[in-house]
Amino acid sequence: MAIGDLPILDMMKQRLHWLGQRQRVLAENVANANTPGYAARDLKDLDFGAMVKRNGPVMTPVATQAGHIGSPVAGRGRSFEPGQATGGGVVKAPDFETSPSGNSVVLEDQMIKISQTQMDYQTVTGLYAKSLGLIRIALGRE
Amino acid sequence: MSAMDLIKSMMVAASGLKAQSGRMRVIAENIANADSTSRVAGGDPYRRKIATFEDKLNREIGAHTVKLGRPVFDKTNFQLKYMPGHPGADENGYVKQPNVNGMVEAMDMREAQRSYEANLNLIQASRRMISQTIDILRK
Repeated sequence: MAIGDLPILDMMKQRLHWLGQRQRVLAENVANANTPGYAARDLKDLDFGAMVKRNGPVMTPVATQAGHIGSPVAGRGRSFEPGQATGGGVVKAPDFETSPSGNSVVLEDQMIKISQTQMDYQTVTGLYAKSLGLIRIALGRE
Repeated sequence: MSAMDLIKSMMVAASGLKAQSGRMRVIAENIANADSTSRVAGGDPYRRKIATFEDKLNREIGAHTVKLGRPVFDKTNFQLKYMPGHPGADENGYVKQPNVNGMVEAMDMREAQRSYEANLNLIQASRRMISQTIDILRK
């Protein structure tokens, strides 16, 4: 199994992909901040929960020896099989205000969204690096 | 590819920079010609130009960019100024002044400046995101 196929890494990859796409959509908005009749757009939220929640093969600790303690949440453990992420379609953003020219881009709003996207991106790339670090520890190459 | 998307967003923002700088050019033309009256008696002076923008789908990069359209002329009337000695004066001694309003131009310039800054910010943000991606490889 390639490292990229690890469920947790795959989920983060999808998230990064989504954030990159969102940045593109926001760039389009900012570039068209003065174009008459242009409606601001945004990406549909990525349903990260759906990826995690999808029912995969249930994994529960099993008592194989008499001394083992059973799982306190028997049958409720979920594997981290990534489901297909939902969301990601381009939708018309709910607008704050529309100028008389029909343009609904509010630069302040866009700037906030951009910094949000950037922070999320930083978080996920940080997590990604940490996960790779864990693998590195497992390999004993710390 | 997400990195491709980030590069695309930089290209889109670059189109925004280009459009806004083109708008600055039009504003500069207006301000520079704020006193350009006609030299022919009763002739029309400089007419103010307005920069226009168009949302354009760039098929090469697959994203909506912005394009500076052809500048249109401002249709407001010219002010008249009584200057009988001026070569451009009509039979009553009035000279048509350009319909450029310094205040309006200053306002427009600020707006262009802000939009330019917004696009620059976006390029910086995208660049940071790309370098964060590359940083995963580090260590």
